[in-house]
Amino acid sequence: MNSFGAVVPLLVVVGAALIVFLLEAFLKKENKNYLAYLSLLALIGCGILSANAWNGGLTYFDGMLRLDNAALFLTFLFLIAVAFVILIGMKYISLQDANHGEFYGLLLLALSGLMIMVSSTHFIVIFLGLEVLSVSSYSLAGLKRKDDKSSESAVKYFLMGSFASAFLVFGLAILFGTAQALDIPGLVDFFKAGPDNQVLGVVGLGLVLVGFAFKIAIVPFHMWAPDVYEGAPTPVTAFFSIGPKAAGFAVLIRLLAPYWNAGFRSGKLFGFLWALAALTMLAGNLIALRQNNIKRMFAYSSIAYAGYMLIAVLAGDGAGLLFFLTIYMFMSIGAFGSLIALSRKGREYNELGDFAGVGFKYPWIGAIFAVFLLSLAGFPPTAGFLAKFYVFVAAVNQGLTPLVLIAVLASLISVYYYLRIIVYMYMREPEREVSIEMENPALYLVLFLCLYGVLQLGLFPGNVLYLIKQAVAALL
Amino acid sequence: MELVFVFLIFGLLGVVLLSMNALLGPKKTNPDKEKPFECGSPYLQNEIKPFPIKFSLVAFVFLLFDIEVVFFFPWALIFKEMRGPALVIMLAYGAVLAAGFIYAWKKGAFEWD
Repeated sequence: MNSFGAVVPLLVVVGAALIVFLLEAFLKKENKNYLAYLSLLALIGCGILSANAWNGGLTYFDGMLRLDNAALFLTFLFLIAVAFVILIGMKYISLQDANHGEFYGLLLLALSGLMIMVSSTHFIVIFLGLEVLSVSSYSLAGLKRKDDKSSESAVKYFLMGSFASAFLVFGLAILFGTAQALDIPGLVDFFKAGPDNQVLGVVGLGLVLVGFAFKIAIVPFHMWAPDVYEGAPTPVTAFFSIGPKAAGFAVLIRLLAPYWNAGFRSGKLFGFLWALAALTMLAGNLIALRQNNIKRMFAYSSIAYAGYMLIAVLAGDGAGLLFFLTIYMFMSIGAFGSLIALSRKGREYNELGDFAGVGFKYPWIGAIFAVFLLSLAGFPPTAGFLAKFYVFVAAVNQGLTPLVLIAVLASLISVYYYLRIIVYMYMREPEREVSIEMENPALYLVLFLCLYGVLQLGLFPGNVLYLIKQAVAALL
Repeated sequence: MELVFVFLIFGLLGVVLLSMNALLGPKKTNPDKEKPFECGSPYLQNEIKPFPIKFSLVAFVFLLFDIEVVFFFPWALIFKEMRGPALVIMLAYGAVLAAGFIYAWKKGAFEWD
């Protein structure tokens, strides 16, 4: 149904971003928290508007913007993620000398990019969303202006990101040249019809996939991730770990879902994606073993997680993928939130050695962090177990047993480095003095909500699965 | 045939103009004139010295308004067909740009020192 209502949630976010930027220029430094409240208000408004559009199937701009249930579900996911990031960032940015109101404005703009990406089936619009997301991400990564690592991360992200965008655009140009279409249904028709010049089309599609593989950090296109994750301010890292990844996978399943029941597993790209998934899981987890910086370790762990998600794509399990992304959002933001909890003015504790004895000195933060780590490692009854379980079962049912075997091995490897942090927290004598800023209610709220999410989804995932079923119905 | 004439005329004209300059032009040189020219910096220096980055701000603000004008052209072409909505869309677009302009102004992008 063609309705202006399809644009309104997006307009709310963009309008709020503009107002935040303007206010930021006029507000005094000590009043910057109002920007956070305003952003949260906009997120809530956008959430209510999106909830009203559920099952509505609204479209606008001649179908270029399509708010189907899948788009809406992911929009909710992004709204929650950005709200969490804003809450965990409020205190952090003032403690870490990055107290710029741009943080909120850029996050809202990045959110609008994500929303554009997931609610379109036309590649030009998807590319537009991707660029809106990327440009704001580059500046978010460099928000700690006086910190060398932050600047390094911004520059690296910018260079690698533009490089990836070039691949993407080149692929799109080739696709348009061969298929005379850039909307996903048109491309699907072209590839199903199987005309003569399909080789060129597959090359174009491959380049497009490479572009997205950069964004979702799949080995061998992952090399930017560790440096960027390490250097960026921690709330921004939490955002990177879920936002671009989820949007990239959303585009991927939109593109591949029509083939799931039509010879996908014998297609040309299947072997390519299979190898990428295996490589991503193994390389991500093996390199993470050697990391002593926790943020870097989480970067490699998030690379490995992209590999697990790729299995869901290969198995044609859209519901499993969305469920996995939901759970990963809670786990990842929870884990990064715990890292933020362990910081004080001008100092962050990111080295493994800093964690020695933390479990006894700060029992609550230590315990919550341990739950997130166990969930990331995939222990029941946490949600991390269920996420992997559903995806692996779906993959085995589709005859992908070798890949699942690799995945289980990789996930066993990952247990070592997640548990190592817990061992440090509870079984080592403290090596150096760790003192942290305790007064941070917004952060504790997020930690609690993430903990709730991880346990709720691990024990009683029924409600969310019901929503996800409705969302996936829109894809097929 | 016409092409040959074109090349003849313009080629000859070029040669004539160049030689005219050498024949008739004043030949007052000074050491500065003999140096190779490099835009914006001394032509020989041992390292890249810091240079003012103010130009980048000017460039950004220029982009802001240059792109605005570019979008006005197609807008003007379809304005007759769309009328009201077109005006609203362009006003919204202008509002976004105005917000950017105010932001840049308030942040001191136009203060040279």
